[in-house]
Amino acid sequence: MVAGMLAVVLLPTASARAQHAAGPYFLTLHVAGGTGLVALGGGYRLAHERLEPELLVGYVPRRLSGGKALAIFTLKTTWLPWKVGLGAARWQTQPVTLGAMVNYTTGQQFFLTNNTAGRYRPGYYWWSSAVRLGLLAGTRLSYGRPGSARTAAYAELSTNDLHLVSALTNHSLRLPDILTLGGGLKQTLK
Amino acid sequence: MRSFFQNLPVRALLPAAAAFLFSSCDLLEFSPNDHRAPESERDLTEKNLTRLLQNPLPAGDTLRFVFTGDSQRFYDDAEDLVKSVNQQPGIQFMLVSGDISDFGFAREMRWVNDDLRKLKVPYLTVVGNHDLVGNGRKAYEAIFGPRNYSFVYGDTKFIFTDTNGREYNFDRTAPDMTWVNKELADRTARRHVIISHVPPQDEDFDPALRDEYAGALREDTRLLFELNGHRHAFGISQPFEDGVTYINSSSFESRQYVILTVWGDKEFRLKQVTF
Repeated sequence: MVAGMLAVVLLPTASARAQHAAGPYFLTLHVAGGTGLVALGGGYRLAHERLEPELLVGYVPRRLSGGKALAIFTLKTTWLPWKVGLGAARWQTQPVTLGAMVNYTTGQQFFLTNNTAGRYRPGYYWWSSAVRLGLLAGTRLSYGRPGSARTAAYAELSTNDLHLVSALTNHSLRLPDILTLGGGLKQTLK
Repeated sequence: MRSFFQNLPVRALLPAAAAFLFSSCDLLEFSPNDHRAPESERDLTEKNLTRLLQNPLPAGDTLRFVFTGDSQRFYDDAEDLVKSVNQQPGIQFMLVSGDISDFGFAREMRWVNDDLRKLKVPYLTVVGNHDLVGNGRKAYEAIFGPRNYSFVYGDTKFIFTDTNGREYNFDRTAPDMTWVNKELADRTARRHVIISHVPPQDEDFDPALRDEYAGALREDTRLLFELNGHRHAFGISQPFEDGVTYINSSSFESRQYVILTVWGDKEFRLKQVTF
């Protein structure tokens, strides 16, 4: 699973580098947002820095999990449709960011599918308790001298597939009920 | 940095954004499987019991309660159920026969409590199989309380037990027969009512414990009836043809519940209500 995620993040980069449409590499420090108390990772920018695939490894300490500490492996792609300079050339904002993610939570209590758990007939539980799909929307502010490394701070609201199913099947649940806030820092490597 | 803050109305927006974030701390979800809840949404079984026992039922008085189950992901129906139950005169509490949540998330259990806390009477729950999925057991124990518990109200002892055997891979730990036998052997109350999620005749009940459980109920002369959920449909029967009555609750989305009125040694009346 993890190897697969790494492959998806890293493989496209090799061919894309030659076109100058890709790069640079970046590191991410992410907080909350359903992907762990903190998550560390990184990725590589594609499509003239408009697409940002990354892999994050999140940590859920015992205090939050109620048992063993958990790890959450998240494969996430953020789309940054446009960039706005803020007066001084060193500051930029990407006012709208949109993204999607899939993550896997470790722990014996979570099943990949109800069949892998071994105790249910097919279809007993239709969802995976280990894998979550998510959608996100956010905003970003970045700083950096032209031609050198940039540091970006971002915040985003996200939800996951199961929270979305709950909201879509109940008028009484409002959008804020299913949203989760996350944010962090991204540092490009030059 | 300074020019940025001067050029945009951020100075005005930042405090507003911070206030919004801190007031809606639900927004900070580190994992959907985080089992924790704010203090006011923890230990709800104990809190509801405290509330119930503040209005004790004198010995010999008629007992009347609402019985329902399987609230899982039926939040719209939960609102209507609360409105209907709040119009019922003379009821003392409501029982929910498990599957409070659908995916075993603490957030779901709290959503259900957001509706059920608007009941005029306290409510009590037993754990269901959906409440044990993933990190659900930790969430249920944090938000509601123990999976096996009992209390005496008036002349009746209510015994809540976890019968979701399949969730434990049928390892003969659910139901905990040592605990069930001890509770049934208690002779301080005039009658016993036992509540669990999966009924013993169901394929999700641990087959190795079925006969022992049904037998223990049969031998308890104080047992009024056994209450279950799981099947999402009202039913009353004696599946083992041994004189023990089993009542299954409707689920929230069936938009039905029952009112049980209990008096004498083993007299009871059952009224179905549609909302």
